[in-house]
Amino acid sequence: MKIKVHHGMCQGHARCYSLAPDIFQLDDSGYILPGDIAVPAGQEPLAQRGVRSCPERALEVS
Amino acid sequence: MATRAAETIVPDHVPPSLVRDFSYFRGPEMEPTPCGHPQAALSFVHREGPAIFYAPNNTYDGRGTWVFTTAEDQRAVLNNTDVFSSNRGIFKAALGEDLPMVPLEVDPPNHMKYRALLNPLLSPKRVDAMEAGARERAVRLIEGFRAKGTCEVMNDFAFPVAVGVFLQFLGVSDDRRDEFLGWANEQFHGTLEQRLNAMRTVVDFMKSLIALRRHEPTDDFVSFLLAAEVEGRPLTDKEILGVAVLLFEAGLDTVAAAVGFDLYHLATHPEDQQRLRDDKDLIKPAVEELFRAYSTIQMLRTAVRDFEYKGIAIKAGDLISCPTMIANRDPAEFPNPDTIDIARDNNRHTAFAYGPHRCLGSHLARRELIVGLEEFLTRIPTFRLKPGSTPITYGGYVFGIENLDLSWA
Repeated sequence: MKIKVHHGMCQGHARCYSLAPDIFQLDDSGYILPGDIAVPAGQEPLAQRGVRSCPERALEVS
Repeated sequence: MATRAAETIVPDHVPPSLVRDFSYFRGPEMEPTPCGHPQAALSFVHREGPAIFYAPNNTYDGRGTWVFTTAEDQRAVLNNTDVFSSNRGIFKAALGEDLPMVPLEVDPPNHMKYRALLNPLLSPKRVDAMEAGARERAVRLIEGFRAKGTCEVMNDFAFPVAVGVFLQFLGVSDDRRDEFLGWANEQFHGTLEQRLNAMRTVVDFMKSLIALRRHEPTDDFVSFLLAAEVEGRPLTDKEILGVAVLLFEAGLDTVAAAVGFDLYHLATHPEDQQRLRDDKDLIKPAVEELFRAYSTIQMLRTAVRDFEYKGIAIKAGDLISCPTMIANRDPAEFPNPDTIDIARDNNRHTAFAYGPHRCLGSHLARRELIVGLEEFLTRIPTFRLKPGSTPITYGGYVFGIENLDLSWA
């Protein structure tokens, strides 16, 4: 499973990071790092919860 | 009577069918109400009437606003910063002093240079480093009343937590807490005259603090601002003052209100309280759900030019209110929005706003709430409203609770 990161839409809510800090990594300002995310096997449900928590809809399962 | 006239002023471009008798300040549940539920009281707007309407007297000083009720429409406003400016000149209107609160009242693209400076100070990682101090403060407060078997949450816990963080940020001694509480109380909940006086007092305090730190820098927030640069130049005094004042405006009442509403909920929903006691991992999602259900603020924007949205003519100068507590109970966004489900998944609430002005302090506020609930539930046995006591809730500019007496065996 991959997650498409719409980096320009991130406003730094960090809701994804608070659920799954190992999957969703932030820069020093608290915004998501650019680039799509390859989700490790077994972490799909957690990753999906992270995607669904984004108020800006900056994350998308692809 | 002037106030009477203000209630009935509807601009010519507003069609009568879109005018609604609605106010955050007047009427049942918005005025101080025993055991009220001000957020729930407003969710009726999703069941009847237009999704976008005009409320002729909907600010503390009697101005009319548009009210955008759905999450989708609020997103459209908050993302369109070219049309909907957040520079309302709050202090200019109130005090005659041109003092934009930074970065709240600065529109993109300028906004981003201030956010780039301030974001790292309040990032999730930085907040990790502040957690120990927040926990220690919470523990000290709780241990101060635990043996009594009772506490008044707002004075004994919620405000001291909120003000403690704030004073720590400013490097100001904790013994000035009551003074700050008084200013906050008058500014957010006082009469018009009290509000203006409190605003002036806060501005003067910050001015003198800036002057002090300029001569004797410490490792506090103001000293950081004095040493900081944007676009290769130091911040101006006005910019520093704008940031410092915003910290006061945004960080006190809101955090205290959230602590109050969360404990009010747990005191009156023993099944939720027990679930959190049984499974501490639920505290995090519960805090998010309680942010959703008990959101306290509205985003207010000013149209800088005429604009048509979904067939509605909005004129330059119109105020547009985007209440979080209403969008967060939008049935198109949240299944069973009036049901509070502390394990709710898929919870894209906007209690901390949305778009570029997303609350700068949101990560710190979350952590304060999580730490506060963790320690409260660990150290205090099953609690309930103190028999014979009546919490008073209210609406207004920041929704809140006046008093919350709890007791435990």
